[in-house]
Amino acid sequence: MSALGHYLEEEGLATVAISLIRPQTERSRPPRALWVPFELGRPFGPPSDPAFQKRVILAALQLVERDDGPVIIEDFPDDDPRARPDPDWRPPFDHAAVADRPAETIARELESEIELLRSVLDRWVTQRGYSTVGLSGLSIADCAGLVAGQLRGEALTSSREGFSPPLMLRFAVDDLKAYYLEAGAAGSAKPSSRQLGDWFWNATAAGAALHAIRAACLASSDDRLKLIAGNFMVPAARVLAPG
Amino acid sequence: MTRLTDLPPAQAQRLAELECPDFATHPWVEGPALPQRRVAIVSSAGLVVRGEDPFRGRDADYRAIPAHTKPKDLLISHISINFDRTGFQEDWNVVFPLDRLNELAADGVIGEVAQTHYSFMGATDPVLMEPHARALAGRLKGDRVDTVILPPV
Repeated sequence: MSALGHYLEEEGLATVAISLIRPQTERSRPPRALWVPFELGRPFGPPSDPAFQKRVILAALQLVERDDGPVIIEDFPDDDPRARPDPDWRPPFDHAAVADRPAETIARELESEIELLRSVLDRWVTQRGYSTVGLSGLSIADCAGLVAGQLRGEALTSSREGFSPPLMLRFAVDDLKAYYLEAGAAGSAKPSSRQLGDWFWNATAAGAALHAIRAACLASSDDRLKLIAGNFMVPAARVLAPG
Repeated sequence: MTRLTDLPPAQAQRLAELECPDFATHPWVEGPALPQRRVAIVSSAGLVVRGEDPFRGRDADYRAIPAHTKPKDLLISHISINFDRTGFQEDWNVVFPLDRLNELAADGVIGEVAQTHYSFMGATDPVLMEPHARALAGRLKGDRVDTVILPPV
């Protein structure tokens, strides 16, 4: 964001960047930046907390009224209260999935979990008014089918023009994660991202499937598949240690 | 789960030390007080309006997000999977604070909100983004924007 700030400011627009990674911002020295102590992915802090979000955006915007530039980096003082786990949260199910079970077993469990979660996701959509599933353009059953097909060793295909098969797999995986994580958050409890991630990666067939596909793709001879599987399937913090 | 300090050390170090352009100049634009400003969001979250062309890799261009876009129609197509998306799934303002900007404008804290907002995909080399960013500045000025907030993801 710092580079964008530099280019836009050179073109005559006042800019203020939100910074999630302070060392980067210190090196790139944008005109104005507000560093926030939040997790990556949450530049304005807690969801469903308009008052907190407004304090963040105001702290940033007020930097454009300062006259002590050309480089200002300020720190936002408060942590995201939603980063704390909610002890009242319960996942929709807990299968204690294990990645090294037979691929066919995981594939069947994945397909049955999709059905199991359908009514839970409906509850989420009723609560929130929408779902963010939809990047691939496939139905969620087709996303799961694509992933299950990879587990079964089927050839990877894409049904959408302009999307290569590996790109389609990446977007289908993004949709699958969104489907589970939204279903996991349905209800009145306010789980932290860590709680939801622990459940998805450790206790669902979808998490087990992605671990297994990542391992299989990394061993394949298709470089694009290796790239997708190695970088865009399992977050670095969730990659299982060998053995 | 995905604060920088929670990432594997090698990943955290790579992010912290990501190469960025070494700018020789430090541009600085001043302007009126906030109640006279027209503000746009230019995100780097790889945001795309549902049904439009998502970011496929490290695309250097940007996507337009009209101010009338609804939360149900905004998706993240960022290439990285190493950041939280559950906050955005619950409330788009975590990443794209359009409701907050509209409230600030209604309260007179800022002047106006832009007609169109934009998103880049932040994992792209900033040098490749430069011509697109400079062209975008023209579009923003055409919308009478004088102030831009730049959220990452």
